[in-house]
Amino acid sequence: MTRTVARYLWLSFFLGGVGLHRLAAYRTDFFLGAGAFLVRVGIQTAVVGLVFRQVPAVGGWSYHEVLFLLGFSLLPRGLDHLFTDQLWELGRKLIQRGEFYRYLVRPVDPLFSLLSERFFHPDGLGELVVGAVLVGYAGAELDLSLTPLQWALAPALVLCGALLHTAVKLFFASLSFWTVTSLPAMYAASQVSEFSAYPLDIYHPSLKALLTWVLPFAFTAYVPSVYLLTGTTGLLGWLPVVTVGALALALAVWRRGVNRYEMTGS
Amino acid sequence: MITRLRRYLPFATSGLQSLLQYRSMFAMTAVTAAAGAAVTVFLWRAVYEGTPGRGPGGFTVQDITTYLLVAQILQVLHTNRVDDEVAAEVYRGDVAVMLVRPVSYPVMRFFACLPVVGANAVLVGLPVLGLFAAIVPLTAPRPADLLLFTVSTALSVLLAFCVNLLTGMTGFLTTNTWGVRMVKQSVVAFFAGQLVPLALMPDPLATLARALPFRGMVDGPLTLLLGRYDGWADAAWLLAQQVAWAAGLSLLCAALWRAALGRLEVLGG
Amino acid sequence: MIVAERLVKEFRLAEREPGLLGSLRTLFTREYRVVRAVDDVSFEIPAGTKTAYIGANGAGKSTTIKMLTGIMTPTSGRCLVAGLEPYRHRQRNARAIGVVFGQRSQLWWDLSVPDSFRILRRIYDIPEPVYRRNLTLFRDLLDIDALGTTPVRQLSLGQRMRAEIAASLLHDPAVLFWDEPTIGLDMVLKDAVRQLVNRAHRELGTTVVLTSHDIADIAAICDDALVVDHGRVVHQGTLTDLLRTADHRSVVFDHRDGTAPETARQRIEAGLPGVRATPDDRGRIRVDYPTGRYTSREVLAFLLDRFDLADWYAPEPGLEDVLRKIYGRSRTPGTAHEGAA
Repeated sequence: MTRTVARYLWLSFFLGGVGLHRLAAYRTDFFLGAGAFLVRVGIQTAVVGLVFRQVPAVGGWSYHEVLFLLGFSLLPRGLDHLFTDQLWELGRKLIQRGEFYRYLVRPVDPLFSLLSERFFHPDGLGELVVGAVLVGYAGAELDLSLTPLQWALAPALVLCGALLHTAVKLFFASLSFWTVTSLPAMYAASQVSEFSAYPLDIYHPSLKALLTWVLPFAFTAYVPSVYLLTGTTGLLGWLPVVTVGALALALAVWRRGVNRYEMTGS
Repeated sequence: MITRLRRYLPFATSGLQSLLQYRSMFAMTAVTAAAGAAVTVFLWRAVYEGTPGRGPGGFTVQDITTYLLVAQILQVLHTNRVDDEVAAEVYRGDVAVMLVRPVSYPVMRFFACLPVVGANAVLVGLPVLGLFAAIVPLTAPRPADLLLFTVSTALSVLLAFCVNLLTGMTGFLTTNTWGVRMVKQSVVAFFAGQLVPLALMPDPLATLARALPFRGMVDGPLTLLLGRYDGWADAAWLLAQQVAWAAGLSLLCAALWRAALGRLEVLGG
Repeated sequence: MIVAERLVKEFRLAEREPGLLGSLRTLFTREYRVVRAVDDVSFEIPAGTKTAYIGANGAGKSTTIKMLTGIMTPTSGRCLVAGLEPYRHRQRNARAIGVVFGQRSQLWWDLSVPDSFRILRRIYDIPEPVYRRNLTLFRDLLDIDALGTTPVRQLSLGQRMRAEIAASLLHDPAVLFWDEPTIGLDMVLKDAVRQLVNRAHRELGTTVVLTSHDIADIAAICDDALVVDHGRVVHQGTLTDLLRTADHRSVVFDHRDGTAPETARQRIEAGLPGVRATPDDRGRIRVDYPTGRYTSREVLAFLLDRFDLADWYAPEPGLEDVLRKIYGRSRTPGTAHEGAA
């Protein structure tokens, strides 16, 4: 058991190195990817700014609180992005073109084998940096001072959020084992995750329920941010439960998919 | 002319055929669109909440809801997959194969994307519109404005095609067209007025947005739909701007395509 | 080494109606058709053999290989590779096998070949001496160094196949599964591949299973053949024996006595009833004779007697021709389908 863990850690380390090596080889790609997120987040921030030009508070949230939320939402997203973006390829073409087989003929776990083809996806770094800057800036403007417990929990909150993103992505990517390509579903899910960058309070109650219990993106940013900003725990207790549940479901679907894999396609 | 165009008809029907094989795709595109619309709609409704009558920019709650919803639907019509398909074909070198066919590649692409636009309008646009109409009150347009909007939408589809083709052609320059497409999507969504109507932008930004071709993709058609123009001359001026941009971008596409082919020959695909 | 017991693999294919209207209809209703790609196949391949897996009519060559490599799970029945059911023990099985699917790459698309090999070395825990020995071998025989630092996606088909073949051998697998491995390879490289396989076979006792559409490819690598028809092993033995079963053989010859092609044709067909002679437009004549009626000696003796032969050769029989005899005259192997694979 420990030997397996050690082997995978060593492999991750090595393949991470390959990923970084690739970054150096595709420098323009790296800057484009990271830059793209800068632009995207810049525009998101601009929209929030334009909204708050009209009113002082939206759904009970001030400008800097919304900025904090927006920034925080990028952290788990970026972390997830950094390691699991090869899942997009699964949904997009690996099944359709019959290329998935190569992960099944290697002596490592197929999921690890798949993800490791693209460790350190450059776009994720951009998100992490921009997220951290936004959170720092908004926190400073709000004179936010975290309790030691909040400080201790913050990294765990980010990690759980990242795992939730991964679970949702894995779930929808695995659907491609049945539907050949699941890119539209993955797009839809990632579009829904955009909700998490804004206060849930502004949405229709049905939408709020959906984001909490069906596609639990509320737990990636809204719930942790409320806790960090106000100290109210609210739904926080559910976070580990939801994370574990979502991951278990996604892994089960993935496993079923792998077992029914048919190497068809052109 | 007709016979020349007829040559492109198979590309249109085959484009639709390959699209229809993935029926789940339309459902998912609809979910994506509904989600996208919900983010902006609810965000801005929170702003206009408690403002009876006309709020910022002269919009009523219904107006702003209609604007953002239809903006999202227009965006669906503009998602013609030309950018990623062209980029992918350039990346894989399949463009070289296309060149041996006796048709123009950009024109072929245009015809192949038309059915996508049509199918998206019917199978995605209408259901999303219906869904929102059931939840939130919308503004009903005047018949004349609806007509103007239709013409303007047709032009916006052409504009979107050009923008996406240009984006796809960056595949000649970089392998990370994902990043380029992301930038394009964000920049276009913002400056087209999909996320914030141009009327709500502060002055230097609004002036910049008016000077860019993207305005004709969302804010232009919606200005006509909601009747937010000053007499017929103003409406005609808006349409004329769209026509001018469409013509200009088409020429740019043609010129850059030619240049790119020259590059392709040098690099050997 | 390799055992298949009543292997069955069924696929569910969506029926697609032709044309635009058909596509519209399939948007709302969809019918499925079950295709049996592998139909109750049983066989055994001994360790240390180099076997061509040949089949038609529900033998599903590629699909069988995919089950033997653990990529697919059988609908029913089972198979064993080195005592393991591959699809149940994918990772353990993966260590023991080397795989090439000619149509699809398993290398890292945007990395160079040396980079891919370095990753494979880690993944398979290949000991340093083995890795070095194999790299030297590939350098000598496959000229792997010539591939340089080009990313795999920019390699030509032939270059890529060299890398794929090397990758499949890198970890000294006990069994090699090669599905159409010689696509894009020229004769020199095919010979190099044969040398590589022979070496592995001789020094490590590697078992080789290969499928190919081209009998010349098969002959270049394999000694044995396993022919499966309708789930039944209809031939298992040496490839030479298999080729002997062809019901037609041919001789192609060139002559310098100036006989007009049409006259020559008539002379052969009159002298050897049941034989077909086909002149080509460069004056060469192909003679196809049924093996049941004539021996090659009789045909050659006849030709030597009637013509002033400048040159002649006897091409290998085509696979179709060989199989036709084996399957019996009632069935036509030409209609064989490969399932959905």
